[in-house]
Parts: sequence; C-alpha cells; structure tokens
Amino acid sequence: MREISMREALKEAIREELLRDQTVHIWGESIESKGGGFAICRGLTDEFGERAKDTPLAETAIAGSAVGAAFTGLRPIVEIMFSDFAFVCGDEIFNKMAKARYVYGGQDGFSLPIVVRMKVGGYVSIGAEHSQTPLAPFMHAPGLKIAFPTTPYDAKGLLKTAVRDDNPVMFFEHILHYGARGEVPEEEYLIPFGKARVRREGDDVTVVAIGYMVDLALKIAEEMVQDGVSLEVVDPRTLQPLDMDAIMRSIKKTGRVIFVDEDVTCCGVPAELMARVYERLTEAGKPPVPMARVGAANVPIPYSPPLEKAVLPSPEKIAAAVEKVLV
Amino acid sequence: MKFTKEDKILLYRNMVRGRKYDEELVELFAKVKVPGMWHSGIGQEAVGAGAATFLRKDDWLEPTHRGYTFGLAKGVDGKRWLAEHLGRATGFAKGKGGHYVAPKGSGVLPFGGTIGSAFPISAGAGISAKRLGKGQVVVCLFGDGAAQRGTLHESMNLAAVWQLPVVWVCENNLYAVTAHLSQSMAVKDIADLAHGYNMPGVIIDGQDVLAVAEAVMEAVERARAGEGPSLIECKTYRYRNHGEGGAFPTSYRTKEEEEEWKKRDPIVLFRQCLLDEGDATAEELDAIDKELVQEVLEASRWAQESPWPEVGQAFTDLYAD
Ligand SMILES: Cc1ncc(C[n+]2csc(CCOP(=O)(O)OP(=O)(O)O)c2C)c(N)n1
Ligand SMILES: [Mg+2]
Repeated sequence: MREISMREALKEAIREELLRDQTVHIWGESIESKGGGFAICRGLTDEFGERAKDTPLAETAIAGSAVGAAFTGLRPIVEIMFSDFAFVCGDEIFNKMAKARYVYGGQDGFSLPIVVRMKVGGYVSIGAEHSQTPLAPFMHAPGLKIAFPTTPYDAKGLLKTAVRDDNPVMFFEHILHYGARGEVPEEEYLIPFGKARVRREGDDVTVVAIGYMVDLALKIAEEMVQDGVSLEVVDPRTLQPLDMDAIMRSIKKTGRVIFVDEDVTCCGVPAELMARVYERLTEAGKPPVPMARVGAANVPIPYSPPLEKAVLPSPEKIAAAVEKVLV
Repeated sequence: MKFTKEDKILLYRNMVRGRKYDEELVELFAKVKVPGMWHSGIGQEAVGAGAATFLRKDDWLEPTHRGYTFGLAKGVDGKRWLAEHLGRATGFAKGKGGHYVAPKGSGVLPFGGTIGSAFPISAGAGISAKRLGKGQVVVCLFGDGAAQRGTLHESMNLAAVWQLPVVWVCENNLYAVTAHLSQSMAVKDIADLAHGYNMPGVIIDGQDVLAVAEAVMEAVERARAGEGPSLIECKTYRYRNHGEGGAFPTSYRTKEEEEEWKKRDPIVLFRQCLLDEGDATAEELDAIDKELVQEVLEASRWAQESPWPEVGQAFTDLYAD
C-alpha cells in the first residue's frame, strides 16, 4: 500500500469532503497563502476558490462565524492555528458550540456541523502559549466531540467522519505527527468515532495513550520487551465518544493500567479515565486494579529545551509508571 | 422602500404586539414566580419592529436580550416563545433553553447569554448567505453595551473585508445595566465605528419606526445586491430598569431624563402619524390594540397552563446522531 504523511492524509480528507459536499467550506488564518498554520491546505484555494479562504487574525470571528454558518446551512471546517489560541474563542467553543443543540432542545433537526482543527503538542520549544495539549477543557464541555488521530490512516478516516458529523468536533493534530508517514489506501474509507485501536498487543500492563503519547508508549513497549514486560498499547482515537469497553477489555486481560496524556496532570483526562475504570470495576463487583498516570507536570510548558523535557511525559516516565503498577 | 398603508399597519401591529407581550412578562414577574430574567424592551419597540418587519422569511435576524418585538415581528409564535420563557414543555426547546431560543424556520439566529457573541454568529450567517447564493441578508441587533466587546471589531472587520450581507443595527439606549455610554466609550455615536470598517454608518431616530424601517431596508437591499455591510445606530431608550425581579439601582439616571424620553413614545408617535396621514382611523387602531391584548392574554394563559417538562428531558438532546 502507498505511504503518505499525516499532512497529506489530512489534506486528502479535506479535499475529498470539499468535492463531495458543496456546503463544506474551510476558513482560517493563512489558509490560502500558506495552506494554514501547518500547510495542510496548500493548493485548496486554487481548486475551490472562496470555499477555502484566509481570514483576518481573529480567532473569535473564526470560531463564532463557524457557529453562525453551521446554523444557517454550511458545514464549516475552521482552523485554529494553535490549540492555545482556542481560549481566545472560548465563548464560541464552550458556550455556543457545546451548548447550542441542548438549549435548542434538539428542535427541527438542529445541529451544528463544525470541525475545529487545532494543532497541539510540545517537544519543540515554542513556549507556554504555543505548546499545550489542552484536552481536558474540551472533554469537560458536554456537547463537543473530540478526535485525536495518531497515524495518517486514522487522521484521514477520522477527519472525514468529523466533517460528516452533525455535531461540533474538536479535531486535534500533534505537531510532531504532521510529517509522520504511514499506509493510507487510495480508496475511500471512514473511521467511526468511539472505536479505540489496540496499537500493540501485550499481556502485563495496559497503556492507554492519547495522541503523540502513543508514539512514546510504543517506543518504551519495544524496549521493555528485553525486561520481559509486555505492554498492551490502546489508542482511544476519540475521547468523546470514548470506547470504555475497549479499555476495560484490555484491563481484563492485563489486570493493570496506566494512562498517558501530554496535558497537565491536574484534572487531566487520565484522572477521569481512572475514575471511570474504578467505577466500572466496583459496579461489576470486581476489585480495583493497580492504576497510574503520566502527564505533564503542573506548570506551564517552559521554553528552554531541557526544562521542557523535564516537564513533559517521556518514555522513561512511562516506564517508571509501568514499574509502579507491576509491583 | 416605499411603505404602503398595509405596511404601516403591519408596523403598528408589530410594535403593539411587542409591547403587549412585554407588559405581560413584566406583570408575570411581578405577580407570579417566573424562572429566569426579563429585560423589558418597552420604549424600544420601533427598533425591533422597524428592523424585522420587512425582512424575507429566509433572512436571518440576530436577537438581543431586550424585549421581543423583533422576534415576534420576524414571525416567531408568541405563545410558544412565552411557554419557553416560562420553562414549559410546550416551549420551542421543551423549556431547556429559555427565551433565547426560537425555531430555526423563523430565521432567528442563536442568541447568546454572553453579550457580544451575536457579532461573530451574524458574520457566520452572512458567510452562509453569501455562499449559498439565495440572496439572504442578516440583520444583527445589538446594544450599546455589546458594542464595547472586542467581538464587534473582529466580526465587523470580517464582514467588511469579505463583503458579507450583514446589517448591524445598534439599539443605543444609552445604558448597559447602569453604566452610561459616556463612561464606557470614547465616541458619542456608535455609528462612528463604521469608518473603521469602511462601511456606511448612519444615526437614526430610534423612536420613529418608519425612519428605522427605511434605513434598515435600504441597507438590506444594499446587502442583498452584494454591496456589503452597513451600520445603523438607533437612538432609543428603555423605560424600565435593566431587568425585572432584580434589585437594580435607579440612581444612575434621572427622572427628568426618563420623562423626556417618554414624551416620544414610539407607539404613540406612530399612532398619531397614521391618523394624521389618514392611513387608519382611531377605531381601526383601537381594534388592533384590542385584538392583540386578547392574543397575549390567551397566549399567557396557555403558557401558564402548559405542563413542566418531564425530568428525563434534562438528559436528552446533547448530541445529534
Ligand atoms: C459577556 C457578558 N458580559 C456581561 C453580561 C451581563 N449583562 C447582561 S445585559 C448587560 C448590558 C448590556 O447592555 P446593552 O448591550 O447596551 O443592552 P441593553 O441591556 O441596554 O439593552 C450586561 C452587562 C453578559 N450577559 N454577558
Ligand atoms: Mg444599552
């Protein structure tokens, strides 16, 4: 099968959806001139004209106009260059996108078909306001859907599904994934939301890793084979909806679980997942299992490379958590 | 736009309907326990009626939190709107949204409880209107307080550079809660902001419904013809305090100022105009008033007698499937 980068996979998804449905439009900063913040959309304006358009530097208008446009008949894909900037348009995302369908009581087929694409992730020394992976805030907002692909194959299939979804979808793309290559078939496919993928099978410890953390988990899983430890790496792929069944299936097999997330640890997604695992087990009358979490330290992401490294999750920190649940 | 006799009667009707519903809500808040808040728009009916009455059914209207003359004039069913406001199962959103919610088919856009969020939503509706090519126009109502939010800048700028068919209509009633505009903005006239976006900006007597309707419809036709956005500032005044049922101070404005504005009541003024021009007789107008009083009475009774939503409703409608 052919291999393409995640960047190319994302562009193919957007292009195919623009071709398929005239109501799909994309806008954001530098979409036309640069293909967006990370050059995903290069060339789309040549092909689709104003359906792929540069906006002013105005995140509130970008996200808010997506709400107005989605309400009135378009299916906008908008790009927020860095997820850190999502807080600039917090009202539009958290108060409008998330709540609208509910406060409309779902009346006459109400929907807000919006995809908000955002780059996330650190490890590249660009400072506290360009390096976050703020997943928990979005998961804390009922009404949003959340996808975070980790391979070009998943990126294409999930993005196409996101565009066709009638709900607002927060679509996260990790900065270190854009160049990553992987097999992507030529023919069309979709990946349903709410279906986790076991990225590596193992027997001793379940590692539920989110986004780029999957790469780190796979790396350490390879190394730990020498120590006779077998890790099972589960990639949820979407956090809302979340495939808890897949996570529980893996835990049933291994009896231990760690959660790895690049977001700050305090009130992070792993904290929620640990609570859910505990509830599932106790509700089923089962004893709890050893659990641990790995996340970023509870500080802003520092700029200097050695400091950033100290703060963010690493394969070594994952290994340490594995050791913790093994004893 | 030339207004026929029928057009004018319709404007009158829409103003009176807005006021009667408003008075009913004020009374409900005073007499019985009503959930939520009511920001009365009594005194400002000319703006809502003038802005909404002659829009096409498929044009979009962005509401404000104050009064509901505009929504009723756009065709929203008053009795179900009232039921929604009272939190009843018969409301548009089964009581889950409150008075901010109207059926999509009425052309009323989502209003936010966050003042100023109307601007980017209107710009977005303008993007749809332009791209879908059906000649739709968006009218965005907003207060002088809302004009102080940064969302105004981002959205008016976007609408201007993309030449979106949006008409920005400011209901300048001089106050945001208790703050006078002169405390909060460096310009005296909101219309001045139009210069910053290279679009026309005009000041209109907001108590004169014909003046409002004329200005809005001229801007609407401009927008429909692809000539981009405009800004219309309507100088108006709210008779009542910021909200019903709350403990709002009254000392921020003078009784004299209130009395001065009440001398130019939009409904009284327009009624006189209709009589002077021979467009209607006093009997005809009285009959309209009576009919609307009856409509509101029945709507209110129906809404109050409507059941509360089933508790299970609290857990549905989050996602579309
Ligand atoms: C973002 C935000 N800030 C503050 C409020 C509280 N609030 C509600 S109405 C209002 C005043 C709005 O003034 P204006 O836009 O002039 O409208 P008016 O009430 O005069 O009709 C304020 C401050 C709010 N709802 N949302
Ligand atoms: Mg005001």
